[in-house]
Amino acid sequence: MSDLELRLAALRDDVVFPATPDLAARVVDLASPRPSRRLRPLVVAVAVAVALAAGLLAASPGARSAFLELFRLKGATVTRVERLPQVDRVELDLGSALSRAEAERRVGFRLLDLGEPDAILVRGRMASLVYGPPDRPRLVLSQLRASVWDGFVKKAGGAGTRIDEVSVGGERGLFLSGVEHYVMFLENGSVRDERTALAGNVLLWNRGDLLLRLEADVGREEALELAESVR
Amino acid sequence: MVGRPPTEEELVERARAGDGAAFGALVRDHQEIAFRTAYLITRNAAEAEDAAQTALVKAHRALRRFRRGAPFRPWLLTIVANEARNRRRAGARRDVLTLRAAADDPSRVAAPSPEDAVVAAEERAALLGALDGLADDHRLVLALRYLLDLSEEETAVALGVRRGTVKSRTARALERLRAQLGEAA
Repeated sequence: MSDLELRLAALRDDVVFPATPDLAARVVDLASPRPSRRLRPLVVAVAVAVALAAGLLAASPGARSAFLELFRLKGATVTRVERLPQVDRVELDLGSALSRAEAERRVGFRLLDLGEPDAILVRGRMASLVYGPPDRPRLVLSQLRASVWDGFVKKAGGAGTRIDEVSVGGERGLFLSGVEHYVMFLENGSVRDERTALAGNVLLWNRGDLLLRLEADVGREEALELAESVR
Repeated sequence: MVGRPPTEEELVERARAGDGAAFGALVRDHQEIAFRTAYLITRNAAEAEDAAQTALVKAHRALRRFRRGAPFRPWLLTIVANEARNRRRAGARRDVLTLRAAADDPSRVAAPSPEDAVVAAEERAALLGALDGLADDHRLVLALRYLLDLSEEETAVALGVRRGTVKSRTARALERLRAQLGEAA
């Protein structure tokens, strides 16, 4: 070994690494035999979080305690977990109906669309374009800037929910298909669980610094076609 | 009479048979190297933690595909490093490696004089700074080899390259590091 290699090796005890988390404690529960596991639904939690929210989630030990798989998009985290908190059925609140100009002023970017929507709703910095009757929409296209923080959206699916990694216009996306979906908003430091207005599948994808979310009762290919036509 | 602790091979066999405690023991033995490998790749503690944890869960699922008698650590590091590389996102905050102050380590033999101690600390800091300033490929191969003391084979699987590539890349990285430090080969 050369002198330089010896000096590098000597740094080994001096370099400060972050404390190693107790990963064994977390994964050992998943590794234990569970005779009743088949009876418990495997559920999927989908967190659509802006950057700061992702940091808050990462800092929360509870948020990490039982996840089985984790996918990331810019500004979004999708977590497959075993158990979800009890979710009350309440009407999804996508925010206040605004004109396009006012909505764009609030969110700070030009809204993308699939044609003229029936309503534009804004909650925090997330805008949702609603197609169809607002109380029973056929399709909802939500969008937010992935680099800002104004709330936390978490979506959950029941047994059989599937997560596929996809590409939309060359950028990464996730297609979620399954049975039930929930949306969770983290506002003012507290989590509110809400059941979505649609029981459709969800496509999440990035376009530039935006995070887009399309929810509709469509299959993967149709969702991808719709996403490609968003202008 | 106290029985001997199970060997790694025995733990792997038990874990394959569904013994969660055995898998936990395996994880405890390797979680530090798994986390640090992920950290050197992602240079972000939160991403490293996510990567290591997800990799461990995937490793548990994949245990049945693990070749009996093969060393466990390189196999695990392959999964961890893949996960860490997939999570390394452009634009994410990157941590900079720092050195422990000599006073933090009472076991360290004191330098002959305060002046020598200062010089030694400055030299170590300069070396780490130069290492950190290398291109990613070069920084990573040296960090894995010398800071984590991974073998060539383990470094190869962590980087997703052949063992020969580790050798040649290490040699080039050392050359660059010498140049950064203004030292002759």
